[in-house]
Order: sequence, then structure tokens, then C-alpha cells
Amino acid sequence: MKFLRNFLETIEPKMAGNKYLHTIYDGFATFLFAPNSTTSEGVHIRDGIDLKRTMVTVVMALQLCLLFGMFNIGHQHYTAYGLYPGLGEAIFTKLAYGFLQLLPIIIVAHVVGLGIEFFFAAKKGHPIEEGFLVTGMLIPLIVPPDIPLWMLAIAVAFAVIIGKEAFGGTGMNIVNVALTARVFLFFAYPTEISGDTCWVAYDYNILHNIFGMGAATLQELGQTVVPDGGMKKLLVDSFSGATPLALAAKGGWSAVADQFTLQSLFVGDIPGSVGETSKIAVIIGALMLIVTGIASWRIMLSMIVGAAFMGFFINMFGGYLSTEVFGFATANPFFAVPWYYHLIMGSFLFAMAFMATDPVTAAQTMQGKLIYGFLIGCVGIIVRVLNPAFPEGWMLAILFMNVFAPLIDHWVYSKNIKRRLARANG
Amino acid sequence: MQELLNTFIKSAFVDNMVLAYFLGMCSYLAVSKTVKTAFGLGLAVIFVLFITAPVNWLLHEFLLKEGSLAFLGESFATVDLTFLKFIAFIAVIASMVQLVEMIIERFSPSLYNSLGIFLPLITVNCAILGTSLFMVQREYTLAQSTAFGAGSGFGFFLAIIAIAAIREKIRYSAVPAPLRGLGIAFIITGLMGIAFMSFMGIKLS
Repeated sequence: MKFLRNFLETIEPKMAGNKYLHTIYDGFATFLFAPNSTTSEGVHIRDGIDLKRTMVTVVMALQLCLLFGMFNIGHQHYTAYGLYPGLGEAIFTKLAYGFLQLLPIIIVAHVVGLGIEFFFAAKKGHPIEEGFLVTGMLIPLIVPPDIPLWMLAIAVAFAVIIGKEAFGGTGMNIVNVALTARVFLFFAYPTEISGDTCWVAYDYNILHNIFGMGAATLQELGQTVVPDGGMKKLLVDSFSGATPLALAAKGGWSAVADQFTLQSLFVGDIPGSVGETSKIAVIIGALMLIVTGIASWRIMLSMIVGAAFMGFFINMFGGYLSTEVFGFATANPFFAVPWYYHLIMGSFLFAMAFMATDPVTAAQTMQGKLIYGFLIGCVGIIVRVLNPAFPEGWMLAILFMNVFAPLIDHWVYSKNIKRRLARANG
Repeated sequence: MQELLNTFIKSAFVDNMVLAYFLGMCSYLAVSKTVKTAFGLGLAVIFVLFITAPVNWLLHEFLLKEGSLAFLGESFATVDLTFLKFIAFIAVIASMVQLVEMIIERFSPSLYNSLGIFLPLITVNCAILGTSLFMVQREYTLAQSTAFGAGSGFGFFLAIIAIAAIREKIRYSAVPAPLRGLGIAFIITGLMGIAFMSFMGIKLS
């Protein structure tokens, strides 16, 4: 630590001359060490935590999801070949495989995003804003790991420039930046990111070529595991495994239960997006955010209530209401999926813990947060169940409510103003 | 019933006049600086659309459509007045707007003043004429047209109050100078359009 600090102090004068260099210097220096400069005039809230520490806390909370996601990529890969089927077998090999798959995405997301942030910060003469630390960590967790890197770079650039910098940088954006990147990919390159089925790595990445890990050779596996398809099948880079949600949309809960146990839905050794499969890792992350006070428990709670309410309503609608009251039967088997299973399928918990609670784009008022979360829960379930175009609804539900969050706030505070005016006058 | 609900939801969320067809941008961008005026204009648009869609439908069905004048006699059976569609629809819309204007002036002079020229300009709001024309083009029934009018109005209302709240929120943001004002409003509209795509393809059965 001492060495680092000395190093920073020696290069500081060299950096001070150039606008761009100094911005970068300042960003790294304050990232490594809490700055000792304090504001001397005026009234300020004095607190040990600044934006960088806040963001880093979220990044920490995400690490477990990231680790499990990497492990799961490897796990799915080896299970596809019939190797190491147990969850506890060859943990490090699986982890290393997933790490190598995910590393390029993490690097590209950070290089592109931070590069743009650095440029804008220097241009404006501001210190570097820290918002991208979380965004850069979230993006690898929500995009498919086989996404072409140039697409990812375009999406990240779009999200950071149009979604954030156009509005004035961190803290000013109206829609969640990570979700903007994903939604851009979703609508601009729909073939790459369907969400119906999910990518399972089937190819051998660099790991095997360099370290020879995985015990078996390509040739061997081609003959033992896929006897009828033979080598032909191995030429395909990856194959797609249906996610629980895609199964539920086709055959209701029973179709999901045929393929996945409740336990595996919870632990997360199933195909899915990198970050969301393990509900345990997400819950630990969410608890971390609640305990440190970074994320609002109001949003999380009301989102669960909203999703449960809407899920319950749809159960009712599919069963009793549609035939008895409205007079039309539903052919959609998704209607009958019990509401409590909605909470552990797909990315509900992940979206709740890390996306909906984004302090910038969520509603700001206490009451507003409750309404905001509740409506996300409702809209998300509606999109998930009623919209055959999208298998999962949280990304779009959160974006949709991001747009309406200022309106909810406006309603809350104008109601408050009215109430206080009435009290003052009456 | 289900069909009407479907039409309403589709026109409000999926085929939103502003965010999917980019119609009615003029008043949408000009009057969305504060929530209060946007709210008033949104309500006015809902009212005008809710009335004009069925009235225009009747007009089209019984006077303008080819062969609809047959009740006047044999010689009228082939008369096709659809070329009068635009001017007839606009006339209906203009009279409705006049009505709304009088109502607002009577009950809320402050809103009347803050809406200014944009209240009479609802007449030429493309969202409203567009609704009537889409209704003819898609061959809706009377009930469907009413639901379509109400849904389009509601969609416009939602879009305009949402962007007004956002623009109030970002009033003090450090938006880059070239983008201030309308520039950022267009970007917001685009992002809102993406968000509204969440309902694209929704089916109620």
C-alpha cells in the first residue's frame, strides 16, 4: 500500500499538466485511496462513504453471482458432454472454463465503457464519475456469453453515450445504463439474444489447447458422447438449452418440473443468463445491499409483493375468472403456473436486487419507491406471461417503470404539498 | 368485450401514437415542459379522440364510403365521397377542439393560458387525424373505433405526462449544451419508445 501511495505521489506532478492524463490519474488515485481533501466552507453531510465506495459495495455484492455464473458456464459445458455431472466435481476446472469464456466480455465492456467515461470526464474537466463500475459489472452478467464482442462494444457505447452522457453523466440518466445496453442488443440483433433458449458452451476454448484440461480429447468425446451425431455435432460452437421460462410458456409448470427440480432452480445449476441462475448467490448479494443500506428494501419488498399479486391474479384469471366471468378460455399454459414459482424462475430476483434498486433511475420518494416496485412486479409478470414475444419481462418492465419513475415522484410530492398547504391554511 | 379490451390496450401501449408512430410530436414536445400543462393537454386529447373517433366512423360509414349514399336513390349508389375524408374529419375534429377550448376557458383559465396556441392546434395534431384514418384503414367497427380512440388518447396522455415529469426532473441536469431543450427531448422520446416496446406482441388470451 505504501509503495502504491508513494508511486502515485511521484507521478502526480507529471500528470497535472495534461488535461486527459490528469483525469485518468485522479480517477485511479481516488479509486485506490480515499482522498483526504475535504470541503472547508458551507454546510455538508460528513460521511465516510462516497460514490466510489457505494459503487464498489454493489460490485462486491455482485461477485458471488459472477463466480457462480462462471462456474455454471463450465458446469453446463461439461454436463453437455456428460462429464463431471455432480455439482461438486471438478469445481476449479469448471470455474476456469467459465472464467475464460467470460473474461473477454468483462474486458470489452470495461474498456469501451470506461474509455468513453474517461473521455467525457476529461472533456468536461470533471473528475471521473464512478457510475460505470457497477454497469460494467452488470453487463457481463446479463448478456449471453457468446455475444460477438463488436456487438457488445456497440451496445455499451450506445448505452453510455445516449443513455447516460447525453443526460449529463452519472446520476442524471433516466434509464438504467446496463439495461439500455441489453435492450439495444435485444432489439438491434434479435437473432443473437432471443432469451427463449439459452447458450450452453459446446466448443473447446483456449483452456483445452493450452493446459489440456478436461481429461478427454475432442476426438474421444465426439465418439463417446454424441454417437449418432458424431463429429458433425461437435462442429457447432454451442447448443441451446431451454430455460425454465421457455418450458413454462409451452407446457406450464409440469413441463418445468419434468426437467428441473426445485432445488436446482434454487441453487442455479441450470441454463440461464450468467448472473441470475443461482438464487442463493442473488439473495446473499441482496442482503448485503440491504444491510449496507445501498439498495432500498422498499423497492425489493414491493416488487415481490407486486409480482406475487399479479401472479396470483393471473392464476385466478386463468382458472376461475376467464371461464366464469369473462367468458373466454385461455390456451396459454403459463396462466396456470402457481404464483410462488414465478418468484424463483428466470431473472426475477436478480432484477429485483440489482436492477430495480438502481438509486438513480428508481423513484426517489419513500412512497414512490413502494409504488414503483409494485408496478415493476405487475408489469414484469404481465410481459412474462401475456407476451409471447418475450419470454422474460424484467428488463423491459424495469425500463418501462424507469420512464414513469419521475411521474410517480411528481405525484407523491405534489400530493404532499397539497396536504401541507391544506394543513397550513386550515 | 375481449376484442375491445385488446384494441384499447394495443392502441395505448403497443401502437402508441407518439412512441410507435411518432405522430403528434408537435404538441407532445412543445407542451411537455411541465406536468401540469401536459396533464391538461393529455386530458383534452383523450376527450377529443374519444368523441371524434366514433363520430368520424359514422360520418365515413353513412356519408363518405362508396355506396353509402344509396339510400338517397338509385343514382347515388355508385357515389364515392372518400376523397372528402380528410376535410370532413378535420372539420369534426376542429369543432370538437372548439368545444374543449370553451370548456377549458370556462373552468380553468390558468390552464387555458398556459396551453396557449397549442390548444387550438390540437385540431391539426396528427395523432388525432391519424387515429381517424387508421380506424378507416383497419376497417374497425363502431365499438372498436371508440375503444381505439380512447386507447390512442390514453396512450398520448401517458406519453406526454411521462416525458413532462422527466423533463421537469432533468431541468437542472448538466445536459451538454447542444442537446439542451428539444435535442434531449427527442432522445428521451426514443428511449421511451424502447421502453414501450415491452408490450409489443402482447396477447390477452
